[in-house]
Formats: sequence, C-alpha cells, structure tokens
Amino acid sequence: MTDTTSPITLSHAEAAAPIAPGRTPWKHEAIGFVLGFALLALLPLIFGDTYARHILIMAFIYAIVASNWDLSLGYGGVFNFGHLALFGIGVYAYSLLTKLAAFDPWVALFASGVIATLAAILVTIPILRLKGIYIILVTFGFAQLVMQVIISQSAITGGTQGLVRIPGLYVFDHNMVRDGKSAYFYIALALLVASTLFLRVFVRSRAGASIVALRDNEEYAISRGVSIVRQRMLTLAASAFFTGIAGAFYAAYQRNASIDVFGMSLATIILSMVLLGGTSTIYGAIIASFVLTIFAEWMADFGAWRPMITAVLIIGVMLAYPSGLVGMIKASWGAVAGRIKRPG
Amino acid sequence: MSALAEILFGGLFQGSLYAMMAVGLALVWTTIGVFNFSHGVFMMLGAYIAWQLVELGLPAAVAFPIAVVVMAGVGWILQASVVRPLIGRPNIVLVVVITTLAAGSLIENGALTIWGPRSKQIPALIAGNTTIGGVGVSLHQIAIIVITPLILAALWMFLNRTRLGLALRAVAQNEDASHLVGLNVTALYGLAFAIAASLAGLAGIFMGGYRFMSPVMGSDPLLKALIVVVFGGISSISGPIFAAYLIGFFEAACSYYFGLYWTPALLFGVLILTLMVRPEGIFASRSRGLA
Repeated sequence: MTDTTSPITLSHAEAAAPIAPGRTPWKHEAIGFVLGFALLALLPLIFGDTYARHILIMAFIYAIVASNWDLSLGYGGVFNFGHLALFGIGVYAYSLLTKLAAFDPWVALFASGVIATLAAILVTIPILRLKGIYIILVTFGFAQLVMQVIISQSAITGGTQGLVRIPGLYVFDHNMVRDGKSAYFYIALALLVASTLFLRVFVRSRAGASIVALRDNEEYAISRGVSIVRQRMLTLAASAFFTGIAGAFYAAYQRNASIDVFGMSLATIILSMVLLGGTSTIYGAIIASFVLTIFAEWMADFGAWRPMITAVLIIGVMLAYPSGLVGMIKASWGAVAGRIKRPG
Repeated sequence: MSALAEILFGGLFQGSLYAMMAVGLALVWTTIGVFNFSHGVFMMLGAYIAWQLVELGLPAAVAFPIAVVVMAGVGWILQASVVRPLIGRPNIVLVVVITTLAAGSLIENGALTIWGPRSKQIPALIAGNTTIGGVGVSLHQIAIIVITPLILAALWMFLNRTRLGLALRAVAQNEDASHLVGLNVTALYGLAFAIAASLAGLAGIFMGGYRFMSPVMGSDPLLKALIVVVFGGISSISGPIFAAYLIGFFEAACSYYFGLYWTPALLFGVLILTLMVRPEGIFASRSRGLA
C-alpha cells in the first residue's frame, strides 16, 4: 500500500462498495436478522421438553462452528480442513483451564476463544505459501497432530479416555441442571447471535471484501495492495475465535471432553453443513446446521439407514444445487416471484 | 542386527501398502484434479468382496482377481455418479471432497449393514511363517513385499509404454489439448478411477490377510496415503511410491526408537515441515504430470 492515496482511488473505493451486485441492503438484512433470531428465542416456549432443547442447543453449536468455517472456506477460499481442530482446541482449553488451573468458567470460555485464535495464527504460517489442495493436507495434518499430542499426553488430557466432570457454566445462583436446559439454550443462542453478527459485519466490511477479492483474483487483489499474508491470517484468526468458544461451550455443556471431536465423522457432518447450506453466505451454514441436526433426530428410527439416507441426500443436493440450500431457496423464490410478476 | 532387520522389514511392508494406496490417489488427482476421499472405503470394500467370494466357496486365486475387477467397476460407477457431473464447476475440488466423503459414508454404512460389525479375516496369500535375520515374519507379508513392486512396475509400464497409458498422462498434462486430438476424456477419467479403486481394493485384500477387517478399516490407510502423496509430491506417480517406502521406514524406525504413541505426531510434524520448505513435495518436479 502506498501512502499517496489520491482522491481518484478513494472515490473508486467508496463507489465500489454500494454498487456491488447482489448485495442485500444492510437494513433489510438487519430486519431479517432480528426477526430470525427473535423466532429462535421464542422456540423454548413451543418446545417445552428438555430433549427438544438439547437438540436445539446442539444445532446452535454446530451452526457456530459451520458458519465460522464458511468464513475461511467460503469467503476466504482457504481450504482449512483443520477447522474442527480449532473446535477441539476450544474443548480441551476450556476443560484443562477449568479442571487443572481452576479458572472461572466464563473466563475460561473467553480464554478458549483466544487460544483457538492463536492456534489458527500458528497454523496459518505453514500455509502462507501454499495453494488449494496442499492447504487441505497441511491443515488436515495439523488436526491430526493436535489429536496425537492430546492422545500422547494422556496424563494431563486423559488420552483416548477423555476428561469427565468438567465444570459447567453458571448464571448467578441459577440452577443450570434443573431448568430444562433453558439457561444453556439462551447462552448458546446468545453465542450464535454474537458469532453471526461478527461474521456478517466482517464479510460486509472492507476486510471481508478484500479476502473475497483474494479468493477470486489473487494476482489482481495483490496488485491493488491487498496483503495475502495479512488477510489470510486475519481470515483464519477471525474464523477461529467463536469456533474456540463454541468448543468451550460444548465442553461446559456436555461436562466431558473426548478426542471424538477430532474424528472424521464430526468433520464430515460440519463440512456437509457448510456445503449443503451454500458457501459464502454464513446464513446458509446456519440453516443447514438446523436442517441436518433436526433431520438426523427425526430419522433416529431408521437406525443404520440414517447415515446412508443422509449421504444420498447430501449427494443429491450437491449435484442438483451446487450452491446449496440457499441456492435452492433462491431458485424457488425466483420462480415464485416470477409467477407473481407475470401472472398467467 | 535384529533391530535393523526389524526396521527394514517393517518399513518395506508398510511402505508397500502405503504405495498401493497412494498411487491411486495420485492417479486420480493428476488426471481429474480432485481428491477422492472415498479411497479408503474402496480398500475396505475390496477386502469385503474378496471375503464374501471366499466365503461362497471360491478358491482365493479366483476370488481375489474377481474382487479387484469388481472394484474397478465400483470405481468407474462412483466416478460417473459423484465426480463426473461436477466437472467444470468452479468449486469442484471442494464439492468433490464432500460428495466423495458422502459416497464413502454410504458405502461404509452399507458394508456395516450387509456384513455386520464383527471382524473378519481373508485367507493369507501364502500361509506360514519364517525367520529372516532373527525376525519372525509371515510368508503373507513377504508375498506383499514382493508383489507390490511388480504391480507398481506394471502400472509404470502401462502409463509409459501403452497407448492408453499415454492417453491418460496426456489428459493429466493438458486436458484441452487431449480433447483436441480426439481422446475420450470422460472415459479416461473413468479409467483413472477404476485403476485407483482396484489398486485400493488389492491393498484391502492384502491387509485383510494379516489383520482383522472392519468397515472402518480404510480410514487410517487413507490418512497415511494422503501424507504419502503430499510428502512425495502430488503430481507424479513415482514420487508417492518413493515417499511411501520412505515413510514406511520412518514409521518403523520411529516406533522402534520412540514408541508407537509418538510416531504419528512425529510423522505429521515432518509433513508440515516438508510442506513449508518444499510445498510441491520432496520428489516432485515443478511441472504437473504423471510418471
């Protein structure tokens, strides 16, 4: 970046943002945002039983992890396959901080987000020079490395046995156990709101535009003064904070930690949420998290057939609508709108 | 002496299995430019089909080749159903990751439903044990060490000396030009997948002969094959083969000196360092192409 910012480039930059095609005006988005989350906040009134709330809490956690992954994967175009490791780092950071270092759970929750962010910055260093498939492999390797370190340090981390009796969160003197999980429900929802707000503001900002520019035309973006090193670190660090917090919340909620969070099956589920929802939307990943989590519950009776049906559906949606559920919604909305505009 | 023999033998044996897996991954990557995450499931399915055929009363010498041929068909079908329709899409690499993962999950759970979770074992290629240099080894493992280089050499001959193999390499190097000279690119894509799947299936048969099989048996070898491919350079066939043996020896030496727990961590550490210094892999030339 040169320090001679001429008036011409300034006006270009200012003019470019509002006229970018396909952008929803922020007021529209804000209304939808508030309405959508207000609706979610009212859900416990409809679903009284604890189990339904548990499902929704899990959906919120998955939604946070998936939508943050969409930031690096969708917007940034960085094939970060170590995203679930950041979640796992959050889980273990919280567990160890509260159990061994006797941190206050809320402080530990926040600290887990910071630790996950630092880990993301660390993993960015080897991938700065890499592209595409190599990034997948290094980040995948990073995830495995984290898992192996946790397994090998079983004296502290419990190894393959995992950790149990992790301190949960608290809200003053409120009894977190006997309220039908409603306290955890609202904490999870608050985290999802904070995370989504952060992600949407980020992707609509100049920094967000610059990481998309790097994804779409790297040479041009660099020639216009976008630093690939700085933006790539920013992208991964930004996607890590709430992912780490989600991991910490998951540990606090489940009261245990196990290395299953590093496994392929969870990574596959979350990745299908990101891709099924439609990349580079944030909302798509959140919608897909709800759809897949509730769908999985709904099909609990199918037993062994459940993962197979899910797999077939994922393939079907990906083949028919490569832009995911959001693309599907947009296409059907377009068809409906077309009918209304031109009746007959 | 015994330590050296143990490392040498362990390295050769593991390296052979890794090479069989990694070559298929590299073949698919070079020709189509996608990573096939159902490769580990191919391995599992090959082993289960072979087991089923043996169970039906076929002798191993008949059952194993049939299983390998069936796997070629499975590879072709998978390519036609979840990879080919996506070719030409801008985000193909990412979408294929999820479709092959989903297809892998479908096959894995299908195998679990059909064959159940109970562990199974295929008859060994050659039954019996022997002692070489103070290390007790099974003849089955020796057979694998001998057969694998022969198969890999045959693959190399195919890719370098036959018209079809050269056509495959041509697609890998320049797809547009291959279209122009009249190669059937779609069929060659299918062929790459078919070869990869049958090699993975054969690796599965090898593995099922000395270790108990389960529907998830392919996930760890897939991971190792990924490491091998990165390590050796993704854009060649010979690179991953050398890397497979190198990693086999590395693993054998590590688990001998540092113990089994630290081996994967060391391996991944070395992998990340390699990619930082030489992102294209240690055996790779800088151009993209086969062999």
